[in-house]
Amino acid sequence: MANSASAEEKLRRIGFVSDNALAHLAGDALLIELLERVRQVMNADTSVILLLEPGSRELVATASRGIENEVRQGVRVPLGKGFAGRIAAERRPVTLDRIDHTTVLNQLLWEKGIAALAGVPLIVGGAVIGVLHVGNLSARRFTDDDVALLQLAGDRMALTVQAHRAQAARAAATELQRSLLPTRLPTVPTLDLAARYVPGGESSVAGDWYDVFTLPSGWLGIVIGDVVGHDLPAAVVMGRLRSALRAYALETTDPAEVLTRLDRKAQHFEPGMMATVLYCTVAPAFDQMYLSSAGHLAPLVALPGRRGDYADLPIDPPIGAVRETRRRVTTVGLPPGAVACFFTDGLVERRYSPLDKGLDTLRDTVAVKPADAVCAEVMARLIGDDVPEDDVALLTLRRQSQDESGALDLVLPAVPESLKDIRAAMRRWLSAAGAGAEVTGDLLLAVGEACTNAVEHAYGPAGGSVALRLELQGTTVIATVRDHGRWRPPRGENRGRGILLMRKCGDEVRVEQTGDGTKVVIRRDLSREPAL
Amino acid sequence: MTTARVEAEVRGDTACITISGEIDLANANLVQDQIHAAITNDVTIVMLDLSGLDYLDSAGLRVLFTLADRLRVLQMGLELLVAPQSAVRKAVELSGLEPLARLRPGPARD
Repeated sequence: MANSASAEEKLRRIGFVSDNALAHLAGDALLIELLERVRQVMNADTSVILLLEPGSRELVATASRGIENEVRQGVRVPLGKGFAGRIAAERRPVTLDRIDHTTVLNQLLWEKGIAALAGVPLIVGGAVIGVLHVGNLSARRFTDDDVALLQLAGDRMALTVQAHRAQAARAAATELQRSLLPTRLPTVPTLDLAARYVPGGESSVAGDWYDVFTLPSGWLGIVIGDVVGHDLPAAVVMGRLRSALRAYALETTDPAEVLTRLDRKAQHFEPGMMATVLYCTVAPAFDQMYLSSAGHLAPLVALPGRRGDYADLPIDPPIGAVRETRRRVTTVGLPPGAVACFFTDGLVERRYSPLDKGLDTLRDTVAVKPADAVCAEVMARLIGDDVPEDDVALLTLRRQSQDESGALDLVLPAVPESLKDIRAAMRRWLSAAGAGAEVTGDLLLAVGEACTNAVEHAYGPAGGSVALRLELQGTTVIATVRDHGRWRPPRGENRGRGILLMRKCGDEVRVEQTGDGTKVVIRRDLSREPAL
Repeated sequence: MTTARVEAEVRGDTACITISGEIDLANANLVQDQIHAAITNDVTIVMLDLSGLDYLDSAGLRVLFTLADRLRVLQMGLELLVAPQSAVRKAVELSGLEPLARLRPGPARD
């Protein structure tokens, strides 16, 4: 086509095809520069680009020259309506030489006094992504050559827009994904946590995520999940699931209930999405895990002196798969020293190798070691030098054994609200120390009374702090409770009762008034028979 | 904040009050108010089911002593249901509450 050849030549002359000056422009600045050149080469007064909003059926004015307020006012044109809407719906160029409310929907165009319009669809890979149009303030008849030139310019701009969008979406997805993964795992006394996340090949991100959080009730929540799909849409859904799950986690510690609510929320607000999620809650003493799986692989659990194996877990349907499904909870013991590995399928799945092989390798690799060493060895054995095709997320939790967790030291405000936190921390520490139910009950009560005394009697209205130290000497637990105030003389009969309970529950109880507050030392042998 | 759940129902001449969770200085007054509100003037026996309670210290015992004292004036009986060999039973026994209330090991059989 001779016309098309001369059109190419015209575009080349205005630097539309390749121009180093354009290389450093990005986004809207680049579009505006290109529109300015379109206006010149077309001898037009205005040039506008409207883009189809992803997921909607409306064109939105994105950049313009000569009629800038069109963009500033956020003009929107429904597909099939008006001048631009028709071009997009019919996927063909349209020219107009009569501009009024019968031909053009956007009143800015006729208010501006535009007398003639020519527009072309922007098509990439067979899909309409927008419309480019030019206008003249004086009467004009656009020729076939004009339209062919405009279409050629439109094709170039469509590619530019598409490339820019893909790049922006990838950058946004990566950034979103990164912002949604914990930058730092929470520091939880007596637990050792480590994690790895590697995006899939070709730097595309999928919707894998993991999350670890403590709850006000003293429980711990652990989440690992995988949203079906990739790039920005998957990352967005992942973000929504993550925050919805956190919200439900505040309501109940039953993992099946949390997943049931998450499923209901996802089915209503994100129809068509699907995700596998494993949610695990850990009781305040950290000795039991409660697991519920929505289509997700079971974690690997390794106990000291034993070969690791996958938790025996019924797998319920994924989130978003079926309505009103029954979800089940499995309890798994977590004795001191135990390691639990949560992972997404990208870790064990290889295209040309059966899933069982990856699972076997993982089972052979995980040993009772510090969490970070477990993660490092698993990644070395299962990923090695490969670029994984899919995202890989791995989270390892290890319960410390008593000899490494050492003494427990707590300093809390001397207020009634602290008593509960003191008990939660003590339960964890005593469980790791191997204390039975009786001894644990006795020490909780004795230390609780000592701390209650500090809260009730040590300080005036200005308040202060209470410090607790628990340490193990041989088989004896030594609990030291300190405050920096001065206990008032007993008030009411409650005070006497507290001291009595304290004395009955410890083997030896010493209350010392020091120059700087009161110190209570309670000793209790772990092997001694209970007080009654 | 320490949490305890107080559920009450009146069965004939008995007010049955079930308390689960934990009681310490932080919520003792709240629990006391809830217990008192659950006891109507026409019952003759108050049965406190503490078998689901995980922690009770002197602040909680004060609630029980206050209740026992009030009920004696009102000529109402107090029965405590506490699980055998539990930390709560031990606190109750050590405190000397026994003469003021009847301790029972399990849920009442109708």
